[in-house]
Amino acid sequence: MFKKTLFAMALLCALPAYAAEIPITGNVESKCIVQMDTLGVYGNPTPSVLSTDNVDGGMTPIVRFDVIQASFYKARITYPNAFSSSPALSDVPTWTGSVAVGQVSDANMSAYSSALVTYDNVTEVDLTVAGSTWFDITSRVDYGFTTALPAGTYRAILSAECIAL
Amino acid sequence: MLLAYSSYSYSDTVYGSTSNAASAGYAWVMTNILPQQAGLTVGNVVYRYTAVKNTDDDMVVHIQNDNARDEGYIFRSSDDWSGLPGNTINKIVPADNVDISYWGDGSIQVDGFGTVEDASVRYTYQYDPCFDPQSRPDCPGYIAPVDYSLEALVYEEDQQYIQDELDRKKTLQNEEEQEEANRKAMLAKKRRESDERLEVLLGIVNTDELSQEQLIKHGQLTAMNMLSSSYYTAIPGGTYQETIKLIDGKLPDSKKGLRVNLATQILHQKMVDLQYDN
Repeated sequence: MFKKTLFAMALLCALPAYAAEIPITGNVESKCIVQMDTLGVYGNPTPSVLSTDNVDGGMTPIVRFDVIQASFYKARITYPNAFSSSPALSDVPTWTGSVAVGQVSDANMSAYSSALVTYDNVTEVDLTVAGSTWFDITSRVDYGFTTALPAGTYRAILSAECIAL
Repeated sequence: MLLAYSSYSYSDTVYGSTSNAASAGYAWVMTNILPQQAGLTVGNVVYRYTAVKNTDDDMVVHIQNDNARDEGYIFRSSDDWSGLPGNTINKIVPADNVDISYWGDGSIQVDGFGTVEDASVRYTYQYDPCFDPQSRPDCPGYIAPVDYSLEALVYEEDQQYIQDELDRKKTLQNEEEQEEANRKAMLAKKRRESDERLEVLLGIVNTDELSQEQLIKHGQLTAMNMLSSSYYTAIPGGTYQETIKLIDGKLPDSKKGLRVNLATQILHQKMVDLQYDN
């Protein structure tokens, strides 16, 4: 009897101890998508002005926000305040711009027009309705007083972001 | 290694989008908008318009289609702009692939104050071009139709043949009837002449009662051999044997009858074969 007990204890002591770490992964895909609808083009109505306004010969850039889940994101749009590339400038240009709600996929999104929050060259709005919203962005550059912009290609970049609330 | 090969035929589904249904006004007839294809279904309604209104006004815009097979609407999307500033709306509304037969006339209806401008309404659709297998020869299950024009041609030929045959038979029958009528007329004429001669002959026994003129007439007839000698010649008694015999003892088939029989057989065979033409 005693021998049997010792044998059982020895057997238990011989069992190895196992441990495992099991990873758990998950992916989160944004339920808010930003799409470039229309590329912008600067028009040059006068030698000292660049403008995306259609009246000035430009083309207004349009950005579309597609929101699958309402009230979880806000749109942040930043119109440019500097050229990303341009000829050498001897004077400092003055930048202005605006963001407006263009088209909507739901009538309730029309309320975004009065809910836009603007500071500096940034415009933000909470996307409280699921669907698509088109934002029209304008950009204008005034280059000094009676000073012509140097000939060449000018590029500027606007930013559109979907930020989780 | 197991190699498997399969071959099957199928038809590709056609996807498309209509033109702007609201281009000519805010009411439209769907038969002028959707392709009239059997089995066509509408997947989405894509519309855009600009609502022009005062922010404080109430305004509801309906994009809708009547239910062509029942009362009410088969599609209706409403945008409530009440208390909101006007704007341009751009919307895609799923239509659950409803069959074309349900899509009645469409319209844009505005309730409240405000107007709709620059409206665009388009329908996305899909259909199987072989929904009806008979629509195209390359569709699975297509059955080639019988060429009725060719059948009509054959039928006309047969009809002409039958008519010719009937005309020929009728002509033949008329000729035979005419011959029979001529033969009967000839026999009747001979019988009348014979009767007249018989009357004259029988009158001989009463010669005494005949006038001189009649006697002269009788003499003339006798001289002209107009009267059969059997009328006044004693016929010896006895048995008269049959003297007319068929020399070779064989009666040949009528070639005319064979031709008619053969033509009838050919016509019958053609009519039977027509049942098995593809």
